Amino acid sequence: MGPSENAMEVRNLRKAFGVLRAIDGIDFDLKRGEFLTVFGPNGAGKTTLIKILSGLTQPSSGSAKVGGFDVAEGNPGMRKDIGVISHATALYADLTPLENLMFFARMHGLAQPEDQALKVIDEVGLTQRRNDRVRTFSRGMLQRLSIARAILHDPKILFLDEPFTGLDLHASNILREHLQRLHDRRRTILMTTHDISCGLEMCDKVALQVQGRFAFLENIGNVERDQFEAMYFDAVRDNQFIMETGAIG
Amino acid sequence: MNLYLNQIGAIIWKDFVTELKTRELLSSMFIFALLVILIFIFSINLSIVKASEVGPGILWVAFLFAGTIGLNRSFMLEKENGCLMGLMLVPADRTTIYFGKLISNFIFLSIMELFILPLFMVFFDIDLLSHLGPLLIVVFLGTLGFCALGTLLSSLSSNLKTREIMLPILLYPLLIPIVIGVVRMTGQLLDGIPLLDMMKWIGLTASFDIIYIGVSIMTIDHILEE
Repeated sequence: MGPSENAMEVRNLRKAFGVLRAIDGIDFDLKRGEFLTVFGPNGAGKTTLIKILSGLTQPSSGSAKVGGFDVAEGNPGMRKDIGVISHATALYADLTPLENLMFFARMHGLAQPEDQALKVIDEVGLTQRRNDRVRTFSRGMLQRLSIARAILHDPKILFLDEPFTGLDLHASNILREHLQRLHDRRRTILMTTHDISCGLEMCDKVALQVQGRFAFLENIGNVERDQFEAMYFDAVRDNQFIMETGAIG
Repeated sequence: MNLYLNQIGAIIWKDFVTELKTRELLSSMFIFALLVILIFIFSINLSIVKASEVGPGILWVAFLFAGTIGLNRSFMLEKENGCLMGLMLVPADRTTIYFGKLISNFIFLSIMELFILPLFMVFFDIDLLSHLGPLLIVVFLGTLGFCALGTLLSSLSSNLKTREIMLPILLYPLLIPIVIGVVRMTGQLLDGIPLLDMMKWIGLTASFDIIYIGVSIMTIDHILEE
């Protein structure tokens, strides 16, 4: 990671798909070890933001530095420092958890792929199922294994795109504990979610993304939960109205 | 360099473990190639047509059509569950993904070809054994070119909804120089002409192999990005 105190520096970030402006001028800094939760209605551009910051998509304009690396340069060094959990598990369905994680460990160039894989499988509580095909796993187990894949190389920065979606209460609690542990280990985390309780409970900063912009960004200490909830629901309702009528407010 | 080779090796290992468990790729390619040869056997009267004249074309049609099935399946594995995104997130040069997939496609296709060649020999009553060494060199050159271009185009078409249709449409026209080269060389080998007398065809095929690999190295980064 570079010498900067900030793990992320985002300046006037924009991304357009034709006439659609998915990201429309986002600015923020995130210090090392900070946890930012981004809320926002569907279609607000949260996934696009994570794709840009993780180097999967190029921004149309503006700049973003992650771990000191400019995301537009596509430096493999940046990818050593980040882990991503998204809607897709990025796991091979016909391989076992052990085979999947050994594969990714080798791709990350880790010294002892099998030992590392077994260690993180144990951390997410899947040791008993380590030799079963991933195809047979429930959504909750897949999400735990997806976390294992993302933290396998002990990244300093984690991006989580709606990680609680589709999880039952038990799986959700396990994920919450994991995130808390990672936060305690001073990992920088950017998470998007619709889950108000989970999102506000763990973060240091909270943002509300609407139509590609941060309509709200504040330290969690300055946020009144009731007021934020009301603002979030208003944003979701307005967004629904725009999507249904095509009106732009 | 060690890490680079290790990453390529990891992709090949992953593809082989998957194939050992599913047995989908090799079996489907083999059956398809066998069916192509059988259809031609029944549709051509070998008492009128000389087998060594039509055989090379039929053999390569079988290899290439069956290989296209393999190429489609190969990148579908990477698209399933967003695995390609997982690969894009590892600190690896994107050419490792290309070379890993190219080598595993090449090995799978070569295995299928090794099973098809004896059957072709029996069905067409052609003696391949006396030309086996030169024939394997020709098969190597043709398969390498096919996989070099096919791997690049299958990564491109894997993002399209109509990928099964788009891959052959993009692939076959660009393969024409290689197909002409390998079919001519195979025919001449069966006529007893030594490989050393076909240097212009070897040169043509090898040149296109190198061109396609070079173009792939230069473009794979942009093709894999969304």
